[in-house]
Amino acid sequence: MTQRFALKTLVLAVGLSAAMSSLAAKLTVVEVITSPPRTALLQKMLDEYKTQHPGTEIELISLPWGQAFEKLGTMLQSGQVPDVVEMPDTWQGLYASNNMLEDLEPRLKSWDATPQLTDKTLAMARAANGKATMVPYGFYLRALFWNKKLFQQAGLNEPPKTMEEFASDAQRISKLGNGISGYCMRGGVGGTNAWMMFMAAMNGSPEFFDKQGNSTLTEPGAIKGAQLLVDMYQQGGASKDSVNWGFNEIVSGFYSGKCAMLDQDPDALIAIKNSMAADDFAVAPMPVGPSGKAFPTIGYTGWSMFKQSKQKDLAWPLITFLSDKTNNLTWSKFVGTLPIYKGAEQDPFYQTPQFAGWFKELNDPNYVPLTMPTHLKGWGYFNSVIVKESSQETLLGENDTENMVKDWAKYLSKEQKAWLATQ
Amino acid sequence: MMLDASLPNSTSRARRLRWSRLAEPWWYLSPGLLLIALFIFVPMAIGISYAFQSINLLNPMETGWVGWDNFTEMFDDRRFFKALGHTLNWTLSSLLLQFFFGLALALLLNREFRFRRWVQALVFLPWAVPAFLSGLTWSWLFNPVVGPLPQWLSDLGVLSEPYNILSDPQLAMWGPVIANVWFGIPFFAITLLAALQSIPKDLYEAASIDGASGWQQFRRVTLPFLAPMIAITVMLRTIWIANFADLIVVMTDGGPAGSTSILSSYIFTTAYRKLDFGYASAMAVFLLLLMTCYALVLLRIRHQLLK
Repeated sequence: MTQRFALKTLVLAVGLSAAMSSLAAKLTVVEVITSPPRTALLQKMLDEYKTQHPGTEIELISLPWGQAFEKLGTMLQSGQVPDVVEMPDTWQGLYASNNMLEDLEPRLKSWDATPQLTDKTLAMARAANGKATMVPYGFYLRALFWNKKLFQQAGLNEPPKTMEEFASDAQRISKLGNGISGYCMRGGVGGTNAWMMFMAAMNGSPEFFDKQGNSTLTEPGAIKGAQLLVDMYQQGGASKDSVNWGFNEIVSGFYSGKCAMLDQDPDALIAIKNSMAADDFAVAPMPVGPSGKAFPTIGYTGWSMFKQSKQKDLAWPLITFLSDKTNNLTWSKFVGTLPIYKGAEQDPFYQTPQFAGWFKELNDPNYVPLTMPTHLKGWGYFNSVIVKESSQETLLGENDTENMVKDWAKYLSKEQKAWLATQ
Repeated sequence: MMLDASLPNSTSRARRLRWSRLAEPWWYLSPGLLLIALFIFVPMAIGISYAFQSINLLNPMETGWVGWDNFTEMFDDRRFFKALGHTLNWTLSSLLLQFFFGLALALLLNREFRFRRWVQALVFLPWAVPAFLSGLTWSWLFNPVVGPLPQWLSDLGVLSEPYNILSDPQLAMWGPVIANVWFGIPFFAITLLAALQSIPKDLYEAASIDGASGWQQFRRVTLPFLAPMIAITVMLRTIWIANFADLIVVMTDGGPAGSTSILSSYIFTTAYRKLDFGYASAMAVFLLLLMTCYALVLLRIRHQLLK
């Protein structure tokens, strides 16, 4: 009797452990910034990983960006925790401050590629709470695309170096008529970066808060920066439609020659290169403010693990594989980010005049990357709803700049103080 | 006598019998009732209970009952009242245009002509297009770089220059309204056509023998027969349109400057961008009450019409 029982238990245990191990070798990867060619490249990399690690199963879940946030949230709530997740900087703060992301510090310590990563990479990995909660795969740094032909027609031969030149050049180009305007303004979703960047440039500081957690957006310099954009729109430096423009409109406006200056990240280069001759445009560093400094916004995305994931030891090698130098360069060139490894600008791909603007910003101390306060829980709502609605009201003359900025400061101060209280 | 003597005993039995007779149909109905309760009333009760709680996904720890707080916040919220005004504007203008075009279409389709079946099928096509897709298509049509509409409108002198009306706070609402009218005409056409075809033909014959003109026939025969159907379709459609945020979310996302945000799109934004389900539910409850009152009024009118 006991023998049979023992046998049964044994069989059951073997069966269970076999089932467990077959489960354990299956990794789930979630991609959140999805496009078909991007998914294909990622799948190719995952397939390569599978051939290197026989017996590993990888399921790739590609969420369309528009619904990614809710979908991932639903997955997590229902206990379906993915092993490796593509983590945009805008979500890092939320998940890290809810203590849901795995601390990668011990693993980074033992990874042999860690010393070759640029300082910015490690700084951004730790941006949320001081501990590394992701391995970034690349940076989006803002620089100024300018249309050489339109500049020439307006009698200008170089891109604006200062904010004043930027404003006056825009007006001058708009005078060309024919529906052409100077600045491709993004008044719709995603316009936050430009507001923050120009406010910081005029204020001469990349800080969003003082030590007590009060927002610095209401400082006179910052208000001037916001006013500069409002004036530019109201005086015709940007197209009337641009109050509602999003990414697609500003980029297509630029390459179709409807507007002459565009502040964008390297990923926009992909679309622009396809539709515009390489001689017709160039990329310059962002114009500097009265302090002689500019603060181009920096964004990043990377790979993260969730605390509740059950196979972290299997997921980490996959993250290091996706982040190794060859794969990172391939990936960066394809999705249009600046790579995370030191010395990447030596790569022939990055030695074109179009990339010069970005690497100047990266290497010149007068260009200080501006990190959005994405550690705030309420940042996503601020970024996608509050700034959009209130800035549109101001541009259309339904509100004034100072009131708008005061509202922003009030919201951000409250968020920052709440965050400070948890530290 | 005998009856009297047996009364005390048999009344309780008779009563039990009567009760079980009365209860019997309910037993048969119970599976259906249970399902309705489970899938309609339970979620609704939960949704309504959210309106009295603080539920914000960004602060998952700070949940709890807050009484009427969400509603006081609502009545202090200027965007809420703006959205309420836009809801009225959006619903009324979409509904009226859809109704009149739908009625006209139904009257046209009610005549005999060649290829009538083909035309009927074609005309009903917009109804089959997913709202999301038609929203995208229309927003491209209004885009001056790729769409023809701004050029046409400026050639006709409606616009001073070819620009995107979706970026103009004064005109932006017309974008989704036009898309919605295009999308919703077939609904009225289908339902009104069905009602038209059920009107006995001899009534029209009798009317024309009596010398009634076309307009008189329409007013005295067609309209009275159509009226109950009109009341019910108008009621249904109003509720649908008021709750229908897809086109607005896709085409303008409530912008520019909130000039096209209606209650349901504002609820959507509050729930899924601000992740504040408590406040969103409070507004949803308000919308529910508004729609219920409206439906009661229209049902009352329909009742009068049927008399």
